[in-house]
Amino acid sequence: MSDPIDAAGIGKTFHPAASVADLLRGRLRQAPVPALTDVSLRVAPGEVLCLMGPNGAGKSTLLRILAGILVPTTGRARVLGTDVSEADAAFRRRVAFVVGEERSFHWPLTGRQNLAFFGALHGHAPAPARAMAAALLERVGLAEAADRSFSTYSRGMRQRLALARGLLGAPELVLLDEPTLGLDPQGARDLRRFLRDDVIRAAGRTAVIGTNDPAEARALGDRVVFLDRGHVRGEAPPERIEQELGL
Amino acid sequence: MTPERPDLAPPPTPPAWLWFCRVLVAFARREIATLSGYRVALVVRLLSFAISVLALAFFSRMVGAAVNPYLASFGGDYLAFVVIGLVVMDFQQLGVTSLAQRIRNAQLMGLFEAELATPVPTWIVLSVGPVYEFVLAVGRAAAYFALAALLFGVRFPHASLLTLLVAAPLVVAAFVGIGLVSAATQMLVRRNNPVAVFLASASFLLSGVAYPSSVLPPALRALGRLLPMTHALDLIRGALLRGATLPALVQPLLALGLFAGVLIPAGGALFALALRRARVDGSLTHY
Repeated sequence: MSDPIDAAGIGKTFHPAASVADLLRGRLRQAPVPALTDVSLRVAPGEVLCLMGPNGAGKSTLLRILAGILVPTTGRARVLGTDVSEADAAFRRRVAFVVGEERSFHWPLTGRQNLAFFGALHGHAPAPARAMAAALLERVGLAEAADRSFSTYSRGMRQRLALARGLLGAPELVLLDEPTLGLDPQGARDLRRFLRDDVIRAAGRTAVIGTNDPAEARALGDRVVFLDRGHVRGEAPPERIEQELGL
Repeated sequence: MTPERPDLAPPPTPPAWLWFCRVLVAFARREIATLSGYRVALVVRLLSFAISVLALAFFSRMVGAAVNPYLASFGGDYLAFVVIGLVVMDFQQLGVTSLAQRIRNAQLMGLFEAELATPVPTWIVLSVGPVYEFVLAVGRAAAYFALAALLFGVRFPHASLLTLLVAAPLVVAAFVGIGLVSAATQMLVRRNNPVAVFLASASFLLSGVAYPSSVLPPALRALGRLLPMTHALDLIRGALLRGATLPALVQPLLALGLFAGVLIPAGGALFALALRRARVDGSLTHY
């Protein structure tokens, strides 16, 4: 069986939009900003890889490239046998990019309505979308809060709803960006346990998790890759994170 | 891989038209659920709509009190004349702004990334908003005409349904073409583009939205012929107020056909280019 993720020489450079002053000087774009440089990695089937690094290290950019949302500037990445530059509907069914961003939900709607909407984006008819939403809300422990407005959800509940949304397509690979960001220690522990036991291990899924929390990487990861300013700085088993980081 | 539970199996990929319909229904449900959470705002919007129709009616009573030679070729009823002007203007604004607005709102609200991470084709995500807005605009137009008819006795005794059925899609097609160019430009330069504002102002001044373009000096009238709105109004007013046949409207039909024929393929190609660029830049998911 080939590796679910096989990326070689990935580079990504952003070109921020020009300011009005730039436009007046005849420049259509600002100076390029390199986000990733020559990043190569492989992830084995069923492996949980944590990407660690400070803010701005390039974790989110790499996750978005692996999810087929961003196209790399250089290099190539094959995910589940598909080149990410050619990610299509079939690819997105097999890969879940769990977007924890709170703004990605409709705040006036309930958790159930939000999930039913995304169910339609997955191609479900209205009745199956509602059934799927109900089943997933049950699984992530939000059944009782299903008909409450998203705006009343706690941070932990929002992250759980984001996980439920990621599972709408029954994916083989799960990509998560800082899944416990902003949670209190107990809430973070509970969510990690749920992620590890119910979402990843129970279904034998492969996962890549971006985090800058050593406790998270230790709890979830089989292997940790360190990123810094867009470069891979090394890798280690989770129990050696502190030594690698010099903590 | 087998899913954890059979009821969580992913659906088979539906045909594109069915997928589009499902997303459109879900989008409409979401918008209605969101709106129902803001009841006061909804009531205020309905009230302001009714007030604008009332104001128009009283204004038209004043204008219509005297015999107006400029309106003679439109049947002499100013309210009927101006309601058509405003409805067509509404469709122009919708065609020109809805796609660009949908993209900008989704970028600002942070919704796009989560939507584009699902299997749904990008064209469906982008088009449901404008289609939903179009359905609303048809409803608004029907309400305008119904209010004008019920409260102020506006009638279209000479209307030609056949001409209207040919003209209306052509008008919408021309406006959609401008909308594609407008949205693509906004995505490429990543700024609000002034096309919509300029077009609205220029059309209001030169196309004969609120007054017949025959009141304009010849130079401005000639400039107005360059705007699709002028031809759209000629077509729709010709169909509804004069019951004109298609051969009698050949000039505006050809003009709008030219606008649609050039702008839709050009706008589509530019938009596809802008989408590709946005995916490389990552600018589709943030502003």
